[in-house]
Amino acid sequence: MTTAAAAVHDPQLPGGASAVAASARRVTKAYGAGETRVTALDAVDVDIQRGRFTAIMGPSGSGKSTLMHCLAGLDTVSGGRIWIGDTEITGLKDKQLTRLRRDKIGFIFQAFNLLPTLTALENITLPMDIAGRRPDQAWLDQVVETVGLAGRLKHRPAQLSGGQQQRVAVARALAARPEIIFGDEPTGNLDSRAGAEVLTFLRRSVDELGQTIVMVTHDPVAAGYADRVLFLADGVIVDEMHAPTADSVLERMRRFDGKRTS
Amino acid sequence: MLLRTALRSFFAHKGRMALSLIAVVLSVAFVSGTLVFSDTATSTFDKLFAATASDVSVQPPKPAENEEPSASDKPRTVPVDAARQLAAVPGVKTAVGQVRVENATLVNPATNKLVGPTSGAPTLVGNWTGTPRSAMRLTQGHAPQGAGELVLDADTAKKAGLGLGGRLRVDNAGGRHEFTIAGIASFTTTNPGAALAFLDTPTAQQVLLGEQAYTSVEAFGDGSRGNDRLKADALATLGTGYQVKTAAEQKDENTKNVGSGLGFMKNAMLGFALISAFVGCFLIINTFSMLVAQRTREIGLLRAIGGSRRQVNRSVLAEALILGVLGSTLGIGAGLGIAVGLIKLMNAIGMELKASDLQIGPSVFLAGYALGIVVTLVAAWFPARRASRIAPMAALRDHGTPAEGRANLVRTVVGLALTAGGGGLLVLAAKAAKAATGGRYLGLGVLLTLIGFVVLGPLLATVVVRALGALLPAVFGPSGRLAQRNAMRNPRRTGATAAALMVGLALVIGSSVFSASMVTSANAQIDRSVGADYVVQGGRTSITPEMLDAVRRTQGIDHVTTQKFFGPRLQLPDGRSARTNLTAAPPAFFTTDFHLPVTAGSLDAIGRGELGIGEAFAKDHGLTVGDRVTVAYDKDHTQVLPVGAVFAKGSLFGDGSFVDFDTMAKAVPAADQPPVWTFFAKASSGTDVAKTLTALEDALKEYPQLTIKDQAGYKKVVQSQVDTLLYLIYGLVGLSITVAVLGVVNTLALSVVERTREIGLLRAIGLSRRQLRRMIRLESVVIAVFGAVLGTGLGLAWGVTAQRVLRDQGLDTLSVPTTTLAVTLVASVVIGLVAALVPAFRAGRMNVLTAIATD
Repeated sequence: MTTAAAAVHDPQLPGGASAVAASARRVTKAYGAGETRVTALDAVDVDIQRGRFTAIMGPSGSGKSTLMHCLAGLDTVSGGRIWIGDTEITGLKDKQLTRLRRDKIGFIFQAFNLLPTLTALENITLPMDIAGRRPDQAWLDQVVETVGLAGRLKHRPAQLSGGQQQRVAVARALAARPEIIFGDEPTGNLDSRAGAEVLTFLRRSVDELGQTIVMVTHDPVAAGYADRVLFLADGVIVDEMHAPTADSVLERMRRFDGKRTS
Repeated sequence: MLLRTALRSFFAHKGRMALSLIAVVLSVAFVSGTLVFSDTATSTFDKLFAATASDVSVQPPKPAENEEPSASDKPRTVPVDAARQLAAVPGVKTAVGQVRVENATLVNPATNKLVGPTSGAPTLVGNWTGTPRSAMRLTQGHAPQGAGELVLDADTAKKAGLGLGGRLRVDNAGGRHEFTIAGIASFTTTNPGAALAFLDTPTAQQVLLGEQAYTSVEAFGDGSRGNDRLKADALATLGTGYQVKTAAEQKDENTKNVGSGLGFMKNAMLGFALISAFVGCFLIINTFSMLVAQRTREIGLLRAIGGSRRQVNRSVLAEALILGVLGSTLGIGAGLGIAVGLIKLMNAIGMELKASDLQIGPSVFLAGYALGIVVTLVAAWFPARRASRIAPMAALRDHGTPAEGRANLVRTVVGLALTAGGGGLLVLAAKAAKAATGGRYLGLGVLLTLIGFVVLGPLLATVVVRALGALLPAVFGPSGRLAQRNAMRNPRRTGATAAALMVGLALVIGSSVFSASMVTSANAQIDRSVGADYVVQGGRTSITPEMLDAVRRTQGIDHVTTQKFFGPRLQLPDGRSARTNLTAAPPAFFTTDFHLPVTAGSLDAIGRGELGIGEAFAKDHGLTVGDRVTVAYDKDHTQVLPVGAVFAKGSLFGDGSFVDFDTMAKAVPAADQPPVWTFFAKASSGTDVAKTLTALEDALKEYPQLTIKDQAGYKKVVQSQVDTLLYLIYGLVGLSITVAVLGVVNTLALSVVERTREIGLLRAIGLSRRQLRRMIRLESVVIAVFGAVLGTGLGLAWGVTAQRVLRDQGLDTLSVPTTTLAVTLVASVVIGLVAALVPAFRAGRMNVLTAIATD
């Protein structure tokens, strides 16, 4: 089983960097034991392509957030293996995981992404501060420009709108040039206009900056911005869709609901 | 309903409440412990006095208010006749003449060691009388008979290792008298810690009084008449020349005397209680503020569905009430423990109180509950008021970012006004010409600046923490920056937390500046103005001519200088009169033994028979050199003297007056002069001062009651007196710092809970556990150092002002103990680190995902 998975995943592709930014093999996540055992992820295999925008969709309780948390090293798995780039993260200690998150991963959460005591700029450079690295000024300028925050860098989060706060979060995720950015419903708390703004920035960062992004969402419109959508149900990837549109995603989701009710 | 919600909320936050509870328990425990202890002690002595008091006691007359006391310091007596007269009063069964003095010392002649307590309780020597209600009962041997026998109390005998047939010496102004222990007597009631020795009556009169008389006559009735009637009859028989007291009056008086002895201890303990209550207030205010802040949403919801402000207010106060009642109850319980501990302590120093006999009066419960409940309610009132002002909309607003409370304008204005007012008073105090005026300004200034700083706390937190924390990001990187910002995000909380620490540290710094100045000034004073090499003090008994002779005979001693003290009334040229402390001393005192600077007249004038007075006294009464004043040494001895010298302020002898010994002797015959209590000796030039000290100690070894010091030893005495004061203050401060540390722990623990999501976010984006813990530790250290900086500032201001106020009272040199300052700052860092231990550990253990998901 493991050998088969290793054969599928080959991080050392000849000729340089792998085309896969993260991958999971037979990842299982279960809570509880015996009678009360609940399986959130059931032997999931997934590869996240480098430089592409992947959305993970599924109804509530499908395990989409759990998958993302496991991929991002925020949660431990019950079985299977996970790699970020060339590094296998399953089995890493907290200290190494922390360093991995710091150096290789960017996060955008649904809400409360920013530290209220720091200015927008300080929030953006925080991961690099923590790592003790100096931010690349040119890159930082470009990121700030891309997300359109140039005039608001000295503001505290409380002085920014919800959309602006999420854009700061996006900038923070981008600024450290992580291997991969994970978004957990990054537009879930925003109205449609602000949400569209944030999604546009995510899209641009993939197209123009070559960033890899994985986003969990339940919103077909948000998923429509992605290159590829993975559909999760009951802890298993049931389908995927390339070059989705909001309508095609919505259509696919309807079929889910239909299957369920039938 | 209200009670149930309050109870439920109280127990939901029991960890937080526990810390506040400790503060309440501590202060209530000190108050109730003190009350139980003093009630127990009073009741024990009450019983003792009630059991032993005679029905009517006849005592020598008390000097009237304005009557001159005799200068000679001899014990006042009742003539022997009074006993006979009293015995003849109808209804009196027996009247017993009693001799009892405190001015004698017991010495073991074999070892030349003192027998009996050296401080605190007295050594009483008297006559053995067979009164019907004696506190003493012979348990060994027999009553003293004749000139060579003595009875000693059993406790003292045991401590000194003496038994029947042992030898004991009684030293007093009349000389040394040796006795054989013929009997040992035990207390029938509680032993108050005194040493008691008894002679037979003629010997006691001769040795202790030098005359055929009694110090009191104790009459016991036959039961046919009441004590008041006996007293009236006794007064009618004896005339009004005596104090006549019934048993009840004696008991009250004795109880009062014991009470004042225990008073210092009681006040010190109540001081502890007050400090911990005051500091505890900050802790309680903070606890409730944080509870209210955490429940903003809940309270907003309550208001949105129609809860009134009053209901919200009351629900918070109800919780405080529970805290107060619980804390007081526990505190009273702990107080009993403290009382038992104090009793044990008293037993250890010889006062035999029984712990099984605890007196727990209603006042204990009244005071305990009143303090505990009032303190908690007052402290919770501020947050409760704030809670009731929470808008209903708060329930609907995002709760993710706790409001950054800013110091408001009113607070700033009030705080600045108080601080400025207090500062002004301190300046006035420092400039005041009179110490008494300055002292009043100082007291008020200390109070106002303290309150001002507490009120200004939040504002200062913003300013000082910004300055203090500016270094942190540079030194500690992101953890440092986050810590600095966190310490500043809620200035009110930081201010209140630090204020608790500030109070304690301000006391430390203030008192150590004061005491360091005291020691430095005294040492400088001794170096500057003392020429004598040795000072010998008599303690309880006066200096006898034999002692002086022994010193004069000692190899290397050049001369001995004695001084006698008077408290005469001076009749001034303007017709008014004033009291002064007058020292009579021989010419060597003014030339070689002391160097006293003179501002007018000359030292020689004193040798010529003129009077020396202090500068302040001269100024106050408009006296100048040449004015003639009448010195009334006592009511029988007066003398007219011209003022010949005015001594500069701030001398070793304060503002006292001086006269030549021979001048005084012309007016006061030797028999009426007071005894010598202290004398000075100077080593011959060229001799080794230290060696001569040994020789001196050797020459006086038969007089263990004497303390012999050279200049260095005398400086040490000053130092140790100051140290005693300091230990008490350090005790107070230790307690307040303990409570303050609890406050910092509380604040941090709550901040960690409040910032759970932030911590989760930080961990998610890569802050390591170690960095997280460092962040919390640094925040704690910033708060603690902030408190220390405020405390140091206040303490320095207080200490320097106190020195300025007392600059003419001997505190002429300011000394700032830099070591103490440095230790305080370092200690505050340690305090911060210790307080952060548990909160940092808990924050580090937090699960990242759960933390992010927290609402």
